[in-house]
Amino acid sequence: MTTQRTEVVTTGEPTTAKAKHRKQLSEGARAERRLGWLLCAPAVLVMIVVAAFPIIYAVWLSLQRYDLRFPAQAHFIGLSNYGDVLSSPYWWHALWVTLVITVVSVAFEFVLGMLLAILMFRTLFIRGTMRTVSLIPYGIVTVAAAYGWQYAWTPNTGYLSALFNNSAPLTKTGTALAIIILAEVWKTVPFMALLLMAGLSLVPEDLTKAARMDGASAWQRFMRVTLPLMKPAILVALLFRTLDAFRIFDNIYILTAGGNGTYSVSILGYDNLFRALNLGIGSAISILIFICVAIIAFIFIKLFGAAAPGTD
Amino acid sequence: MAATAKQKSGWITANVVTILVMLIPVVWIFSLSFKDPSTITDPTFFPKKWTWANYSGIFNSSDFTRPLLNSIGIGLIATFISVVLASLAAYAVARLKFPGKSALIGMSLMIAMFPLISLVTPLFNIERSLGIFNTWIGLIIPYIAFGLPLGIYTLSAFFREIPWELEKAAKMDGATPFQAFLKVIAPLAAPGMVTTAILVFLFCWNEFLLAFTLTATIAARTAPAALAFFTGSSQFAVPTGSISAAAVVITIPIIIFVLFFQRRIVAGLTSGAVKG
Amino acid sequence: MRIKGPAAGMIGALLTTTVLAACTASNAATGGPVTINFYNFNDPSGAVQTAVTNCTQQSGGKYVITYNKLPAAADDQRLQMVRRLAAGDTSMDILGLDVTWPPEFAEAGWILPWTGTYKQQAEAGTLAVPLQTATWKGQLYAVPYNSNTQLLWYRSDLVKTPPTTWDQMISDAEQLAKEGKPHLIEIQGAQYEGSTVWFNTLISSAGGSILTPNAQAASLGPPAVTALSIMKKLGTSVAADPSLPVQMEDQNRLAMEAGTAAFELNYPFVYPSMKTNNPEIFKNFKWALYPGVKPGVPAKVTIGGIDMAISKYSPHPDQAFQAALCLRDKENQLNAAVKGGLPPTLESLYSDPAMFPSYPFHAEILSSLQTASVRPQTPAYQNVSIVISHLVSPPSGIDPPATEQAMAGQINDALVSKGLIP
Repeated sequence: MTTQRTEVVTTGEPTTAKAKHRKQLSEGARAERRLGWLLCAPAVLVMIVVAAFPIIYAVWLSLQRYDLRFPAQAHFIGLSNYGDVLSSPYWWHALWVTLVITVVSVAFEFVLGMLLAILMFRTLFIRGTMRTVSLIPYGIVTVAAAYGWQYAWTPNTGYLSALFNNSAPLTKTGTALAIIILAEVWKTVPFMALLLMAGLSLVPEDLTKAARMDGASAWQRFMRVTLPLMKPAILVALLFRTLDAFRIFDNIYILTAGGNGTYSVSILGYDNLFRALNLGIGSAISILIFICVAIIAFIFIKLFGAAAPGTD
Repeated sequence: MAATAKQKSGWITANVVTILVMLIPVVWIFSLSFKDPSTITDPTFFPKKWTWANYSGIFNSSDFTRPLLNSIGIGLIATFISVVLASLAAYAVARLKFPGKSALIGMSLMIAMFPLISLVTPLFNIERSLGIFNTWIGLIIPYIAFGLPLGIYTLSAFFREIPWELEKAAKMDGATPFQAFLKVIAPLAAPGMVTTAILVFLFCWNEFLLAFTLTATIAARTAPAALAFFTGSSQFAVPTGSISAAAVVITIPIIIFVLFFQRRIVAGLTSGAVKG
Repeated sequence: MRIKGPAAGMIGALLTTTVLAACTASNAATGGPVTINFYNFNDPSGAVQTAVTNCTQQSGGKYVITYNKLPAAADDQRLQMVRRLAAGDTSMDILGLDVTWPPEFAEAGWILPWTGTYKQQAEAGTLAVPLQTATWKGQLYAVPYNSNTQLLWYRSDLVKTPPTTWDQMISDAEQLAKEGKPHLIEIQGAQYEGSTVWFNTLISSAGGSILTPNAQAASLGPPAVTALSIMKKLGTSVAADPSLPVQMEDQNRLAMEAGTAAFELNYPFVYPSMKTNNPEIFKNFKWALYPGVKPGVPAKVTIGGIDMAISKYSPHPDQAFQAALCLRDKENQLNAAVKGGLPPTLESLYSDPAMFPSYPFHAEILSSLQTASVRPQTPAYQNVSIVISHLVSPPSGIDPPATEQAMAGQINDALVSKGLIP
């Protein structure tokens, strides 16, 4: 202790310089903080203003028995709505359907999306046209595309049904789900491909060139060099796509209206909220959907290391 | 390095397969839009009887043209503002140190994840009391808010990958901070921003639930919501022809939009900045 | 936020026009004609628009009716109106309600009862069953605009005499199947309101009903089992269209026009459509009364249609009542029938020769409307309907006694809004 003090006393100038440097650092850090907040402020403001009140209101509604037709009779019932939802076979069936659709469609979308991304990035011929063509499915209004699929699969009306012997695949749960997944995958592969392609574009060419000169095959180059460097982009793509797939609604609504056991959790929520006008149950279903989706996001971020950008 | 014949034929096959898979369902919608209503039940891929009636029908009244205009205007404005705000926030997240970063990301994710169905009724009530129900601004603001999470997340991921040291290098070579940003950083950021803009615009373009709930007349209704008002020749008829014709018409601006922007992506990628 | 160039000009012009239109519409307060906002389904025939224009003129400057179009699907229409009524929106005056909504809207206090001279005028000459759909707890809450009912449409080149019961029709169809001829029976079997209507028709024709008279509990019982058995019989027979579990009215029409079906249970809109789309089949396209359940007892077909109600939040209820009565008067209903194929609710029109050319089946429709049944009248109707349609669609999955039990339990829950709906 004493020796330090002596050192401090004897080395006057450098200490002051160090102290000044430390002070400047924290001034710079403060300026950086302020700039950071300033830049984020507009976005945060908009999001809070628009979404905060509705979300809080939805949570509040889920704790009440509230029929839109009789607002005067609305009253607080705690978690009773959640009990009703979680003990209903309809909820569990919808959850199962949703999980099946999510897992299968995201898996397909990832593989096909990666292939499409590579093609969009590297194809030797008419690359510009290929990119435009590949984005068209994503640009068509979902409702219109869904009607197209529905007609294609209707016996005696559609070309796809004719290929399968004019059976009515939309009337059986299994085949109906397959068709829904097909419609989803076709529509959103371009989304995946776009995100993955941008990720591809950030892989430095020298690395792949070096690998090639080291004798690595295309497959090895892809697996060992490209894929790991694309990890952040891949995880962003998978995260967002999974979150969206879990909340699938439009395609099911048009293709089967949720009939024959093909209803997802969103359709269940929609029916209870807007047809039964049961705001309490409908909001409870929505909160539960949100919790499921949050769990999925948690899994992606904590377990797969989807770097929430900026948190390293 | 010249491509071998095998590689060339491989890419050609891949191109052809992709085009077929992507476009056959689209061509089907095209053909549905040209089918005479009496032949709509024909399982033929191409119409036996061609007609322009579906197209003339949808342009007959402003019931469709006005929503189309709304979609374009609302989509462009919301996308522009959303991408600008998201870029600012993403830049901060990727480059600056400040507390509350994870809170921001967490909040964006939460908003992106929350089921829209339970939010539309409160939003409807709020907009009614503010008097912006059934107006452009009434849709633009929610679209910005719900497009931001996607924008922030995507752009943060991209901005993190940019080698920021290049900016320092350029400054040391004598460039002003602004020149450094423009010549070095901007081309690297461009692909990410363009990608994000495309994604946000397509979100606004495709969005149905908010457009359906927060509008009452064609003053602010967008194209997807307008499809729900299409009626066939009777109150039971599903207007396949009209919907298909409308879908075709709605897709054409997208094709132009995409065609224009994908060239920008190429420009960004070949600007040479990455070659360290 | 600046938009550049011509786009700005266009957008500016459009916004200005919209604002101007809104301004002119709201000058009513200054003593000019009052604006009556009429919300109804989007009528493709133009009959509703004509009625709106005529009634505006006939008001002699008292009011101007604006025709606001609702989405095509009934559920979406209800959703738009309910949302705004629950928020106390004052910009809706006359509401075009599906016949199953008046009890719900009345109980919620969203629509005004019809009393005094308005009630008298509404009831004069109107068919009884449509009036019943607009009545709740003894009061009249809407005026029937148009009705709708199903007939049996069949091909006379395949069937000489039309069947009068379901059992007969199914065996006729199976016989045709054996002969290798078109044999399908087209009916709405998708999981939506249409299959509830089918079930309601059958159970009513079997002498029963879905709810007890006071609408507090499920009734069902043996007539329900009979009805379910018929639905199952069709669902598992060769006469069933392979798409039956996803078919709605329009798909039935298309299948009939494609020539694969021999029988069709559907609304009259199929008649002009067949005439235009398939003149060949049209030559043998005939109609008969809906087949019953018990031999010799006519069917009690469940009716559809639109009732016009006045919103409680309307700032001009008197003018709204008057306008509604005009919109559904004799002349306008006749026009709607001839141009749009919608069966009128005024009895005298069925003997009006002006109807006959485009309505050759007017006698069958009238007879059908006079023996018709209505769907359960309860504010919880939506829930009840969803529960029923989920249990009867797909028809091949029905197990009559078990389904009847399950239905009773679920309907009782639905009546008190207990639990989830699928």
